Amino acid sequence: MTEASDGELARLAADGDDGAFAELVRRHAPRVRALCAATLRNADEAEDAAQEAFLKAHRALGRFSGEASFGTWLHRIAVNHCLDLLRAAGRRRSESLDALLDADSSVLARALTEPSPATTLEDRDAVARMLNRLIPDQRLALTLCEVEGLTYEEIARAMSCSLDSVKARIRRARAELLEMARHFSDSDIV
Amino acid sequence: MTHEQIHERLGEWLDGELDGSASAAASRHIDSCAACKSEVFRLRRLGEALFAAPAAADPRSTEAFVARVMARVSADTVSSWEKFAARFLAPAFGLALAGLLFTIYAPRPEADADAPLGVAALSADASSVFEAAP
Ligand SMILES: [Zn+2]
Repeated sequence: MTEASDGELARLAADGDDGAFAELVRRHAPRVRALCAATLRNADEAEDAAQEAFLKAHRALGRFSGEASFGTWLHRIAVNHCLDLLRAAGRRRSESLDALLDADSSVLARALTEPSPATTLEDRDAVARMLNRLIPDQRLALTLCEVEGLTYEEIARAMSCSLDSVKARIRRARAELLEMARHFSDSDIV
Repeated sequence: MTHEQIHERLGEWLDGELDGSASAAASRHIDSCAACKSEVFRLRRLGEALFAAPAAADPRSTEAFVARVMARVSADTVSSWEKFAARFLAPAFGLALAGLLFTIYAPRPEADADAPLGVAALSADASSVFEAAP
């Protein structure tokens, strides 16, 4: 028996076949969960966001035309959902986080200057706080580039924006992060 | 391209987003420019430090994830059906009932002896339906 394609499963799911939708979730869960984890940097929030992305996809199945691949369509829903969450979190961000920034940037400054081979920063909270300083669109574009290895063209499609916006978002996100580290190195020397 | 132009696009170069000739020109410049070389080093480190692939989710947990999503999907389907029923079906039912009662109670030249009994049974059913509705 040949495996049903995503498109066939999506059509069955749109007609109310929950088993077909469960199979789609099974196939695409790893990527969606990884995207949410990389973007949101909080295990519980990421897990919830990944579930919500599938829920949104389920509600929108009737609008899935089958022109794009189901994976691309679902990915776009997940990207937009993460972006909404980042924007909402940005509005809640408290000023008290600023006090933590000096210590965080020193961690980043060391990671950027150490001659030994780099490793991922162990302090996940510090990484999350630094990424929280970025504008959501910039943060998401850089995440899609660095974590998923998407081309700028693919990021533009996922974020429904122009190629030039993607270039600018990624460049600004990196400049902002390097500036955080640089700011610390400078004040450290003085 | 000048140093400034290339320096501005080192990220794109690193991401493989420059076209062939621009990329080759940038590569030649970076080889001979200490400032660009160290910026490339920092950009690479930045990606590794902040974005190096986190441990992949345990594949065994995929089934648990599928179960949680499907539980939410069926709760969502039930609640949207309930919302639909509350919004459209209940008023439509009410309207139909009102119409029915009106037809039955409306003064008619010849009163039907069976009518009051039928109406009493019907309205009892109807009120219990409405009490059950959210
Ligand atoms: Zn240069």
